[in-house]
Amino acid sequence: MALECTISELGAVRLACIIGRVDSATAGALEKSIIPLFDTPERHVIADLAALEYISSAGLRVILMAAKRAKQAKARFVLCGMPPHVREVFEISGFLKILEVAADQASAQAMLA
Amino acid sequence: MEDGLLPEACQKVLLLDYPLPAQLEELEKLAGAVEDALSQHPDLVFPVNLCLEELITNTILHGLQEAKNRFIRVRMYLSDAWLEISIKDDAPPFDPFVDVVAPDIDLKVEDRPIGGLGVHLVKTLMDDARTYYDGSGNLIVLLKTLRKDKDA
Repeated sequence: MALECTISELGAVRLACIIGRVDSATAGALEKSIIPLFDTPERHVIADLAALEYISSAGLRVILMAAKRAKQAKARFVLCGMPPHVREVFEISGFLKILEVAADQASAQAMLA
Repeated sequence: MEDGLLPEACQKVLLLDYPLPAQLEELEKLAGAVEDALSQHPDLVFPVNLCLEELITNTILHGLQEAKNRFIRVRMYLSDAWLEISIKDDAPPFDPFVDVVAPDIDLKVEDRPIGGLGVHLVKTLMDDARTYYDGSGNLIVLLKTLRKDKDA
């Protein structure tokens, strides 16, 4: 499997590390891992993308769905650790303007503190 | 062709000729072949694979309706001046660069529709993107200028 998504607890926050490739073949698996994290209201989520090698619009779709679910759950959804090519894709899509983005896990935690 | 009048920059070399079985699961293998073919231009690997996936996913899901035993031919050429990518299918005529509505990327999270970003990414990442229909299928041609001053 070219995509791995590990979920752990980081204090009161949930941490999702998205590793590998999110493409049209693997985006469904990401959706199943990430979206249920917002079933708990007001539980914040950090997504660490430092080991994300590749993401296409199929993955951006899941990220946007997660952000919408976060709003509904009154939770915050912070993305961190974007590699340069990943960041470019988010920028072109207009996502850097509408999503919460931090440099790394520590700054993401600080944003939520 | 051999009159020597073409400037050197116009001569292009075939980097990749890949008959892709039309299934989403095959995209990762194609991505590996693209990475190998672009070993001299590692910065192009990500945008090229992204554009190929966006367009080929559309073709597989919509153009070919996930029909089995179909192939999509991917070719990549390189000259001193640009990278040229061609994608040929045998699906009904469809021009994603004309027929797909551009997304409004200034909307709030609540108002942004899910999806519709793929073609926008391709148009932004490539310098030219066109579709031709020749009676047997669609030929998409993408051009990416090799900008040595890209980050300057």
